[in-house]
Amino acid sequence: MKRLFTTLALVFFTATTLSGTVLLKGGLVHSGNNGAATVQDILISENIIVGVGNNLIIDGNTRVIEVNGLPVTPGLISPMSNLGIVEINALDVTRDDESDLLSAGFSIFNAFNPHSTGIPWNRSNGITSAISTPSTSSFPIFGLGSHFVLDGSLEIKGSKDIAMFGRLGSSYGSRAETLSLLESLLEIGKLSKSIPVEEILEMTIADKLELQAQDIIALGKVANDDMPFVIETNRAVDILQALAMKKKYGLNLVLASVEEAPMVLTKLQESNTPVIIDPMDNIPNSFDELGSSLDLGRILDQAGIPIMFSTQRSHNYHLMRQGSGNAVAHGMSYETAIKGMTQTVAQTFNLDNRGSIEPGKLADIIVWDGDPLEPASFPKIVMIEGRLQDLSSRSSKLTERYINKEDKPSSYKH
Amino acid sequence: MNNKVLLPLLLFTIISCSESFNIDLSFGDSASDSINPGIDNAFASTYAPMNSEPILFKSANIYDGLGGEFRNYDLLLSEGKILEIGESITAPDVMVIDATDKWITPGIIDIHSHMGVYSAPGVSTSSDGNEATSPVTAEVWAEHSLWTQDPQFALALKGGVTAFHVLPGSANLFGGRGATFKNISQNTIQAMKFPGAPHSLKMACGENPKRVYGNRKRAPSTRMGNMAGYRSAWIDAVEYTDGMDEKNSDRRPTRDLAMDTLMGVLNGEILIQNHCYRAEEMAMMIELSKEFNYKITAFHHAVEAYKIADLLADEGICAALWADWWGFKHEAYDMVQANVAIIDQARNGTGCAIVHSDDAVGIQHLNQEAAKAMAAGNRAGYKISKAHAMRWITSNPAKAAGILDQTGSIEVGKDADLVVWTGNPFSVYSIAEKVLIDGALAFDMNNPKIQPITDFDLGIIKPQDNRVQ
Repeated sequence: MKRLFTTLALVFFTATTLSGTVLLKGGLVHSGNNGAATVQDILISENIIVGVGNNLIIDGNTRVIEVNGLPVTPGLISPMSNLGIVEINALDVTRDDESDLLSAGFSIFNAFNPHSTGIPWNRSNGITSAISTPSTSSFPIFGLGSHFVLDGSLEIKGSKDIAMFGRLGSSYGSRAETLSLLESLLEIGKLSKSIPVEEILEMTIADKLELQAQDIIALGKVANDDMPFVIETNRAVDILQALAMKKKYGLNLVLASVEEAPMVLTKLQESNTPVIIDPMDNIPNSFDELGSSLDLGRILDQAGIPIMFSTQRSHNYHLMRQGSGNAVAHGMSYETAIKGMTQTVAQTFNLDNRGSIEPGKLADIIVWDGDPLEPASFPKIVMIEGRLQDLSSRSSKLTERYINKEDKPSSYKH
Repeated sequence: MNNKVLLPLLLFTIISCSESFNIDLSFGDSASDSINPGIDNAFASTYAPMNSEPILFKSANIYDGLGGEFRNYDLLLSEGKILEIGESITAPDVMVIDATDKWITPGIIDIHSHMGVYSAPGVSTSSDGNEATSPVTAEVWAEHSLWTQDPQFALALKGGVTAFHVLPGSANLFGGRGATFKNISQNTIQAMKFPGAPHSLKMACGENPKRVYGNRKRAPSTRMGNMAGYRSAWIDAVEYTDGMDEKNSDRRPTRDLAMDTLMGVLNGEILIQNHCYRAEEMAMMIELSKEFNYKITAFHHAVEAYKIADLLADEGICAALWADWWGFKHEAYDMVQANVAIIDQARNGTGCAIVHSDDAVGIQHLNQEAAKAMAAGNRAGYKISKAHAMRWITSNPAKAAGILDQTGSIEVGKDADLVVWTGNPFSVYSIAEKVLIDGALAFDMNNPKIQPITDFDLGIIKPQDNRVQ
């Protein structure tokens, strides 16, 4: 099926691009695929990985960076964040993740602020790109998420409107109503294939639901064009309802949270549905997620279900490393954890040129000072599209200021 | 090297966290002399340790919670206490547990929890942590809200937490009294209360109180309004306390629950746990404490504590911190991951740093939070060992909760509140294998019979099963 994703033209800044080629020599490379890590060299030309191996041919102009056996992974990709669109959660004036007008068609893409302080912080912690999403709302569909490259460039790099996000579960009304509403919206999306949007807008249901043209177009992408539809849901029967909807409408479904998935494991397995989980959330926060447990990651992994990771902590999307580390402590395979932060996200959301260390991919690469699943580890090198990134952040600047023992007011320590 | 090595018996030389506390103060007096007959003993702990038999752990690696690290040591527990720590202990008639390659630490202590007052599931009927009806509610006690069947207690136990301090929320300037609990499932609140532990008083700075009441168009709506609110209450409390000192009981004021709490602070019996993010606000709260002559035990959350680390060390005030939370509100914007380490290392390492959770997930992984904070500190140039960092989640929170003479470290004579970890507790892959409270096994990952299941967990998904296996 043809996919309708707008990929912005990549803009190259020749002034700051490393000229020629770079060799990351002798790292313990976790490719992001399923294989075990091996010590290899990685050759990067401009923004692309051109070679991975042990006897790569380089010329005298190649810059060699010794990695000395440190772990190397693809740059981590957060599948659900608010990076670049929320500066401070409790300050509405710094948030761009909510819409009063739009629902399914609400795109946050043009609100992205590459200077948001969360970006250098997450980048210095190993996140090289992220999908940012609208916030949850009372409507079961919140809108469209976009993928952003976190290099801080004002020439925003990313993929606009790559997935729709929604939720199924406890609400002020009945979940039966939510399900029926979701189906109506998908029907409208299907109609948009054969009926002009202007005509659909005239329909009573579109009027009742206060749908705008953008909403109908977006619903069409989910209903007709295979756009990933991420539904956050937890209760076992709700997962089954979502899977039934997937079958009925041929959805490219992704399920998020899925705390009671172990109870419907076979059905989930048969449906080939990837999931996004927070492995550390074992709290039965609501009556929808009574089955919440630290075993979720292991059980899903053993069933072969593709897994990605979210974290409940806003602003610290890199903490999915800690989450996946905990999942491994409770039985998930190590390589599934690495893959879940890299290649599984790229595959699920059609970020075709990222997510693994192999020739032809964009060179988003992290060199770690220790096991990347240990929360105490930290990146030594962050490379985005072949360019070495500065690891400083507001937080590192504040740290430097306050451990500086010079006897003068802090304002003069810079 | 078979000499038994006994760690110094520090029980009687431990520096008390603040002024002496004594919940049973009235016992020394005849009832008629007591200023508040009944109050000093109201809702007292009825906690009784579970039965235990003597246990000898062989060949364990130990962090003692005070900065000490011991490899291949033995540890003998008897009658709920730590009896002996040494390189080769033999004892007859004891259960011997081989702890080779395992790590033993003091039980983890969380100085900032809302378990039981914000229970799971987080439904409106369980929202019992903020009496947000008036900015000064020093009269309420968090323990009076506690739900004993909160499934979060057992999850925290699996994370190695043996004691925790439950605080009211931060909606109010004075949120009410906090209390400390042993992490033992019981059907009454008093039976969970940590015996002899002092109450705390929760105070809150900054955005929360001014937002909650400002939105209602009443004071406080500004930070200066917050300060005026504290000062007015303390003026009343000083007058009340002076009045209660009257020899003639007829001239004493009418008893007032809120004033009782503030008087307890002024008398050094109740410890101040102060939610406060910003540096200048913490400094202001220290000024306030001097104006009214009371002591602040700890600042909580304290995202900007690192900016006044020396001041906190000089004043002997602990900072209870997250490893990395930030950005959720403006006063939590200036996060540095080295915050814990900077506090710890202030004034030649005399600072008191605590890693706290304020969160039902975080409380299960305080060892990992300490690992992140330590690593960040060491990246910033400090040389902090794991043995030292263990203090942040054991002896330092015990000190701030006023229970360090009973728990929080592995020392002869202390409560045998311990965690046996599958590996080094600073690794994400290590999990709590056994948790002991007063020498009794409270959790054993290998024995389903020693895994608490709350009433809430029974048959709630499938009638024949427990919620969590």
